[in-house]
Amino acid sequence: MIGATPRWVLGATAFFLVAVGLFMLVPLLVVIASSLSSSEFLVFPPPGLSLRWYGEILGSDAYLNAGWTSLKLALGTVVLALALGTPAAIALTRFRFAGRAAIASVFLSPLILPSLIFAIGLLIVFSRYAAGPSFLGLVIGHTVITMPYVIRTVSANLADIDPNLDEAARVMGARWWQRYLLVILPQCRTGMAAGAFFAFNISFDDAVIALFMRAPGVETLPMRIYSTLEFSPDPSVAAVSTVMIAMTMLLVVLLNRVFGLSRIA
Amino acid sequence: MSQLSVQSVVKRFGDLVVLDKFDLDVAKGEFIALLGPSGCGKSTLLRIIAGLERPNGGDLHIAGRSVTGLAPEHRNIALMFQSYALLPHMTVIENVRFPLRMRGGGDRETQRAKALEALALVKLDHLADRFPRQLSGGQQQRVALARSIVAEPDLLLLDEPLSNLDARLREDMQVELKRLHESLGLTTIFVTHDQSEALGLADRVILMNRGRIEQAGSPEDIYSRPRTVFAADFLGGANIIELDVQGSGETWHGTFADGTQVPLAHASDLTAGKRKFMLRKEAVVFSPDETMATVEGSIETQNYLGGQTRSLIKVGDIEIIALTDSDRTETGRHATRIGWRPEELIPLQDA
Amino acid sequence: MSTGTMRLSREPALLLSPGLLFLLLAFFFPAIQLLAQSFLTVGAEAGRFTLEHYAKVVVDDFYAGVALRTFRLALIITALCLLIGFPLAVVMSRAGPTLRTILIVLIILPLMTSVVIRTFGWLVILGPGGVLSWTLQQLGLIERSMSLMHTETGVVLAMVQVLLPFLVLTTLGSIGQIPASLEEASRTMGAGFFGSIYHVTLPLSVPGLASGSLLVFALSISSFITPSLVGGVRLQVMAGSIYQQMTGSFDWGFGAALSVILLVITLMLIVPYMVITSRVGGRT
Repeated sequence: MIGATPRWVLGATAFFLVAVGLFMLVPLLVVIASSLSSSEFLVFPPPGLSLRWYGEILGSDAYLNAGWTSLKLALGTVVLALALGTPAAIALTRFRFAGRAAIASVFLSPLILPSLIFAIGLLIVFSRYAAGPSFLGLVIGHTVITMPYVIRTVSANLADIDPNLDEAARVMGARWWQRYLLVILPQCRTGMAAGAFFAFNISFDDAVIALFMRAPGVETLPMRIYSTLEFSPDPSVAAVSTVMIAMTMLLVVLLNRVFGLSRIA
Repeated sequence: MSQLSVQSVVKRFGDLVVLDKFDLDVAKGEFIALLGPSGCGKSTLLRIIAGLERPNGGDLHIAGRSVTGLAPEHRNIALMFQSYALLPHMTVIENVRFPLRMRGGGDRETQRAKALEALALVKLDHLADRFPRQLSGGQQQRVALARSIVAEPDLLLLDEPLSNLDARLREDMQVELKRLHESLGLTTIFVTHDQSEALGLADRVILMNRGRIEQAGSPEDIYSRPRTVFAADFLGGANIIELDVQGSGETWHGTFADGTQVPLAHASDLTAGKRKFMLRKEAVVFSPDETMATVEGSIETQNYLGGQTRSLIKVGDIEIIALTDSDRTETGRHATRIGWRPEELIPLQDA
Repeated sequence: MSTGTMRLSREPALLLSPGLLFLLLAFFFPAIQLLAQSFLTVGAEAGRFTLEHYAKVVVDDFYAGVALRTFRLALIITALCLLIGFPLAVVMSRAGPTLRTILIVLIILPLMTSVVIRTFGWLVILGPGGVLSWTLQQLGLIERSMSLMHTETGVVLAMVQVLLPFLVLTTLGSIGQIPASLEEASRTMGAGFFGSIYHVTLPLSVPGLASGSLLVFALSISSFITPSLVGGVRLQVMAGSIYQQMTGSFDWGFGAALSVILLVITLMLIVPYMVITSRVGGRT
């Protein structure tokens, strides 16, 4: 309805959008800019440009180990969240049974509990019933908070697909395993992919559960960044952060390809 | 002075020219149909008149006032949307009162009284306190109609007013619209792709094609004397027959590809050479009398439609469709003789 | 026939049970443990029922102050998110495909970037000699270097950037369901540009705005990373206190009690949020 929008409103809107755009993006941009600084300290504007901090993090065992831990953690989370979430999503979208709505909200409930509170519960359980927080504990914690995303993306995916396909396969004589392998799972592919991206992103970025479930010898990238920021930030943190921002951008692009960003919004 | 005057309005979407220097004048009290296939520019024209789209060029006057650059809220018009666009968070009466409230005439009570009056006109005053979602489709449309007339607009615009109704409600609504127009005298313009709606409601039909007026005139005129192949085809899907025309003065005849000759009327419109003609399906008869043009053909297939029967008749290589009363129709595949009155073959302009 | 229906009802049960079992052990059990912990004594006579942890929250002025600050900040943050988020969602819902994609990326990219990194960005902006201070100096608005670190203004700025996407996405869901013809209709009926936003768009976006603000408020009171890095210890909020109790002073009973209070308030906000969203079509 641009045709009926007063011109000054269009001008004001453009100004508003630029302001909001800056507000949303500048925090990311300054991190990227800081990573290119030649200075030892985080000062603005940077006295000169250099890529030395990227060399620094590549030579730092602490960052490389943290990166490796984060990657293992995120991949483990993705596998577990898909393995548990996909069947649940199939059951919730493909079948009608008593209590379906209630069970669906049980599956989505981790979304509404602040992760801080969940993290404390997890810490108490692992300290009381296991040998304390551990890498496995982190994988479990992240699976809990990412599984709802897998369920949502797979459900959205399945909702778009002809519900009769499954029955058609039966009529054509497919056994139960053939239906799952040849009909149902291939239909869930895009939903599973989108769910996997979300799960990876959330697990790779999480600092809250990781900080509460701090286990000896287990340090993820966000934990390392947090503790560095608390004590002695330097441009190497900015370099690591920039690498993580680049990964996020890649995920956003992939997510758009696979799922369409407008469906997330 | 005309109530609406559209002067060489141009509208482009990118490279696509939707309206090409469009001109239209509508007199006060007229009931106009903008008829055409989808994409002909009729809805865009309606939205430009309403102020919802900005034209790329041209001028617009409503009730003698230039409104070209004016926002929709400053034109004293009403538009009834195809989807009705009833505000779901307001009751029926509040919906109908909305134009009065926005235009700020009178206090709340006078406005409500006026809204109730408008609702009474469409016989829905007893549902004033319901919400739109509690009404049937036909009732929702009546509310939309009441909302369109309540503020006595200079121009009433209707976008496909009957398309969302089932066949029976559509007939009721046609009657309703005609009655309202006659009693209120509002200058009304409606958009439709349905020729029977256009012919049944309007005083004047504007047939549009590719952003231009193909033909304009009274319903009778436009139906019985289409000027172009497009007009003939769009209004009732007539037979289009190409003949080789010969003759002079008052006597002309046309020759079919197989050599059959038929007499032609409309002498003043004719010149020698190939020419396309329209022949209405209803004009074709079996067992013609001697005053008629006659041809030999064979019945290929027939569809029984109840009171009427549709027959596909092959005349040489040409197919002619006849729509005849069932009790005057020969049945079964066989060779036959069909005919029509010479003036039923109406010469068309090409293109 | 009977085996067929048996299979049908057994199938969803088989599909659901691994996930349900996992959630029971890894989600609901920890939540219950947290609740239990908040009522149990610690130390020499550990494991007895007590209300002392809750009493401490009420009695101790420091923690009452922390709670008050947490809620005050959350209110301001929610209000600012509404103020920026509603017009942004309106623009997004009307924008053409290109602008819409740009705006969605503008919202999604920060949302998907780690909160730790976004907060880091704010440290660089707000800190002494940071981007903000430098810019204001260049513009001649201030003379000496300034810092918004350890101020409520700084915390609010950073938190609004972190939480705005949640409000925008929730509201957009609501606005996206309003047919364009409703606003057009109100324009033809004499409502001006802002009149039609006020009379049509705003009332019809209320479900989205309500659920969005509840979500932002709930996330805001339990936020931990941004307030602790930007606000520091001087401006402690509830989440920060909890972190200190759990990992610093190891007073788990008190930490659990604080968490339960936070949880109860969150649930009081989230339940209406769920009711609203399920009514408008179940989305966040």
